Amino acid sequence: MASGVLLLVTRPPSKGLGKAAREGFAVAAKLAAELDEELSCAVVGEHIDAAANEAAERGAVSLLLLSNSALSAPGDTLTAAVTEAVRTTDPRVVIVPRGPDALELAPRIAIRLGGSSVTGVTEVRANSGEIEVVAAVFGGAARAVYRFTANGPAVIGMAPVLLEPPERSASRDTRKFIIDIPVIEERVVIIEPALDVETSRIEDARVVVSGGRGLGESENFELIRTLALSLGGMPGASRAIVDDGWAIPSEQVGLTGAIVTPDVYVAAGISGASQHMAGCSNARVIVAINTDRDAPIFRYAHFGIVDDCLEVLPELIRLRPEVSTSE
Amino acid sequence: MNILVCAKQVLDPEGVNSYALWGRLSVDESGRNFDTGGTIPHIVNAYDEQALEAALRIRDTGVDCSITVATVGAKDAKTMLRRGVAMGADHAIEVSSNESGTDGFQTAMIIANLVRELRNIDLVICGRQGSDFDQGTVPAALAEHLDWPYVTMASNVSIEGDALRVTRVTPRGEEIVETKTSTVVAVSNEIGQTRYPSSRLMMAARRMEHQVMDVSELLSEQFEGGVELIKLFVPELQGQCVVLDGDSPEAKAALLLNHLAEAGVLDG
Repeated sequence: MASGVLLLVTRPPSKGLGKAAREGFAVAAKLAAELDEELSCAVVGEHIDAAANEAAERGAVSLLLLSNSALSAPGDTLTAAVTEAVRTTDPRVVIVPRGPDALELAPRIAIRLGGSSVTGVTEVRANSGEIEVVAAVFGGAARAVYRFTANGPAVIGMAPVLLEPPERSASRDTRKFIIDIPVIEERVVIIEPALDVETSRIEDARVVVSGGRGLGESENFELIRTLALSLGGMPGASRAIVDDGWAIPSEQVGLTGAIVTPDVYVAAGISGASQHMAGCSNARVIVAINTDRDAPIFRYAHFGIVDDCLEVLPELIRLRPEVSTSE
Repeated sequence: MNILVCAKQVLDPEGVNSYALWGRLSVDESGRNFDTGGTIPHIVNAYDEQALEAALRIRDTGVDCSITVATVGAKDAKTMLRRGVAMGADHAIEVSSNESGTDGFQTAMIIANLVRELRNIDLVICGRQGSDFDQGTVPAALAEHLDWPYVTMASNVSIEGDALRVTRVTPRGEEIVETKTSTVVAVSNEIGQTRYPSSRLMMAARRMEHQVMDVSELLSEQFEGGVELIKLFVPELQGQCVVLDGDSPEAKAALLLNHLAEAGVLDG
C-alpha cells in the first residue's frame, strides 16, 4: 500500500530550494511526522545540486534526482519526469510547492496516477489517518475543507503558509536515487520565449508598503514608493488604483495580482476588501493606516493608526531616512 | 474547425465578497453552501466568458469555425447558454446534473466523454479556473483524459496555417507557443474585455434550441470522483489590532516604528 509523503521540487533556483519549496518542505515534514511515515523529496530540473543538498540537509530521508536539459521549462518532459518520480516513490501524499508549476502539474500527475488534487492549500492535516486539506474559496472570503476520494495519491498544491522547515544539518542520512529521464518531443513548442529578465519580485520582499484610494491622487503613490524603499521593501497597490493607473499592474496585491508573504505589510488608505486581503493576509505583521476606524482592514491588522495616511506616511519617511541602495 | 468552449455557472464572487466584507457571510446546515437566502445571483464564470471571447476572436480572423458552448450542472443553464449564443456561439449543450460542481475531476471526466461523443472537436477552450473554487482542475485533467497537449494562462489564441498559436503569461513575461494537434487551452484574464451582445442578438438568442444531455449518459456510475467538499467555513478575522494612540501623526508614526522594531521585523 502506498505510504509516505513526497515533496516535489520542480525547476528550483540555482542557490537552493527557494522560499516556496522551503514552505512546502515544512508542510511535508510536519505531515510525515504526524503520519509517522517517511519523507521523500524529488528534485526535478536542469540545475538541481544546491536544492538537492538543501533538501538532504533539512531531513529528506530519500532523495530522487531527475535532471536533464529539457527540464528547465514546463512541458511534456517535465510532466513525464515528475510522474515517474511519484510512481517510483508510490507515496500517499504529494506536496507541490506554490507557483505556476503547481497549478499545472498537480491535476496532471494526479490523473496519470489515478489520484486527485487540490491546489491553493493553506493547511494539510491527518484526521484519523485520512488526509484533509483547507483551501481558500471565493478569493479568500471563505475556506473549504476537502478530502480525497480517488484511489491514487493525494496531490496537494500549496498556497503560501507560515511554517519553517527543519534546520539544516550536514550529518543526516539520506538515500539518494538518480532517475534517468528521456527527453520527450514536446507537443507544445516555444517559438518566442519570455524575456526572462531577473528582477526583484514583490512576492519575495520582506517588507511591502501598499497604497489604495485613500492616497487621494496619483502623485501621492510616490509616498508609498519612498517609504517602501526606506524600509528596504517594495511598493504594492490595491486593484482600484492599478485600474486607475496610479500604480503599475506588477505592483497589484490581491486575488488577481501578487500574493505576498512579507514580514511586514503596511496598508495605507486601503479599506481591506477580501479581494485585496487574499493577497496579503498571510503577512507576519499587518499595519493599517486609515481614517475610517470601521474599515475591514483593522480586523486583519496587528497594528493600526487611525489617521490620514497622507499625514502619517511623510512622518514615517522622515523618521526612517532613506536607505542607500549601495549599502 | 470545431471549437468547444466549456463554461461553468458560479455563485457571483463579488456578491460573496460583499457579504464577507459586511461580516454577514455564513454557511447553511449542510455545511456546503452559503446561507445567503438566494440573494446572490448565479453568473457565468468570468474566465469562461473570456474563453468564449477567445474562440470568437479566432472566427473574427476569418477562420471557418463552428463554436459550441457547453455547461455541466448549471442551476440555470438556459440563461447562461443563451448569452453565449447571443455573443456568437453556434451551438449550446447543457449537461444536467445535481452535483454541486465542486469536484473538478468529475467535471473533467464528463467533458472528456462529451468531446469523444461529439467526435469532431479540434480545440477545447476553457477559463483558467472557476472564480468560485479557484482550482483550475478541469482544463488540465481534461487534457490528460484526452491525451491532448495543454496550454494554460493564455492571453491570445490564433490559428496560423496548420498550427494553433498561443501567447501565454509566465512569471518571466509573455511567451508564444505553437501546437499542431488537438489541444486544450485555458484562458487567463489578460485576454481582456469580452464582447457585449446587443439587445437584438439577445432577443434572437431566445429562440435558441439547446441540446440537453443527462450526466448519466456521460459518466459511469463506478466513477469514484476525485475530491469531496467536506465543509465550507468563514474564517474569523484576527481582531487583535493594537490601535496606536498619539497626539500627532508624528507621535503615531514614531510609536509604530518602535513596535515594529520590538517585533523584530525591521532590519537595522
